[in-house]
Amino acid sequence: MNNDLAPSYLHQLGDYWILWYSKSNNYSVVESEFKTLLEMYLNSHSIDAFSLKLSENDSISNAVAIAEKLQLYLENCNATDKLMDELQATFNPLKSHIQKFYSIGDKTTQINYDSELVEKTIHPSIAHLEVAKKSNLQNVFDIYLDNDLLCLFKDHTLITAVAKRNYHLLQGKFVMQLFSLLHNKTALDWIGTFHGSTISDGENSILFVGQSGKGKSTLCALLYAHGYTMLADDVSPLGSNDLHIYHNPSAISIKEGAFNTLKPLITDFNKIPVTVFNKTKGKLKYIPSKTPVKQSYPCKCIVMVNYSKGANTTLEELSIKTLLETLIPDSWLSPKPDNAKQFLNWLASVTTYTLTYSNTEDVLKEVATLFKTFSKN
Amino acid sequence: MNKDNLKDNITRKEAIKKMGKYAALTAVGTFLVLNPLKAQQTSPPDAGGNPFE
Repeated sequence: MNNDLAPSYLHQLGDYWILWYSKSNNYSVVESEFKTLLEMYLNSHSIDAFSLKLSENDSISNAVAIAEKLQLYLENCNATDKLMDELQATFNPLKSHIQKFYSIGDKTTQINYDSELVEKTIHPSIAHLEVAKKSNLQNVFDIYLDNDLLCLFKDHTLITAVAKRNYHLLQGKFVMQLFSLLHNKTALDWIGTFHGSTISDGENSILFVGQSGKGKSTLCALLYAHGYTMLADDVSPLGSNDLHIYHNPSAISIKEGAFNTLKPLITDFNKIPVTVFNKTKGKLKYIPSKTPVKQSYPCKCIVMVNYSKGANTTLEELSIKTLLETLIPDSWLSPKPDNAKQFLNWLASVTTYTLTYSNTEDVLKEVATLFKTFSKN
Repeated sequence: MNKDNLKDNITRKEAIKKMGKYAALTAVGTFLVLNPLKAQQTSPPDAGGNPFE
């Protein structure tokens, strides 16, 4: 059969097999029966041979129908999205109307914005890093609107240009630049960036994932207010050299619904300015957190968060299938084969849970218990 | 195929046996294909929200 379509890596995790397809960087989750059939199909040199093999054990099923389904599956797994045309823009030095300086690691980075509205795409999340002086200047970023395109330049070189409604793509590219500057790495040094927030107890870390509005950031802000280290909010990068989650210096983004919960716990909460950028997201506050003692911590656990008003706090084991259904479509994962292999190995090393909560005291106890289990192992 | 499949802890024959006579067609219909993002991004804007308009 056409082995060009075969998965590059197959990795068993619990009851499931995770298959990785290098052509498309797609992951597939299947049960062992499916994987067995797929291998039988790929290892057969013709449909007749496959039919013969199958009939040794299954005289009823229609081998041709199964082969058709497997072929379609393989084509689907290997299909690549049509590459969107890279949008182009030429650097315009006349757009740097607002200049700000930020302390990133031990260097200063300058960011120029063309308007207060554009400034809101990046500045509120790193406002706590702003400095007055421009000593030891490392890089200059320019962010501006060019007709309907939102552009990001680094030292006059285009990093990305996106349709302005897709500002979150520009933010993602900028955060990646921030990680690389802060941790002295290149884009190739990351296994991926997860849509989730990570906290640490000073030794290990837990990655909290879940759909927007499920309470990831609020939970992490609560944990931070109770002494945990805030490692990364919203975007958590996994380094390839040590499989650690690295520090994301962006402030914790909190929606208005959580203001009352956090007000008594966060110092000078009322002094943190309210930002309104996207009206559908409503009012936001960006809570800065202390820089962690270390740049990175090993991540031992992924927890899917589900805030549910009035619910009892429960922590239950979560199948890798359910976790990956949420994690992968929301994450950028490096298409490099070595990194994909590392990602699969890393997944095998983490425990996975789903956490339902509404009560702060109970959730603190659950998280403390979780961290204790890591130090025992 | 990659060496990783050595981690399979049941043989093909055992797996097919486990499937039973009628299961092959059912088994072949259950799979997930997950596409990671092609580029880094932060939390996407909620539907309909565009601060630039």
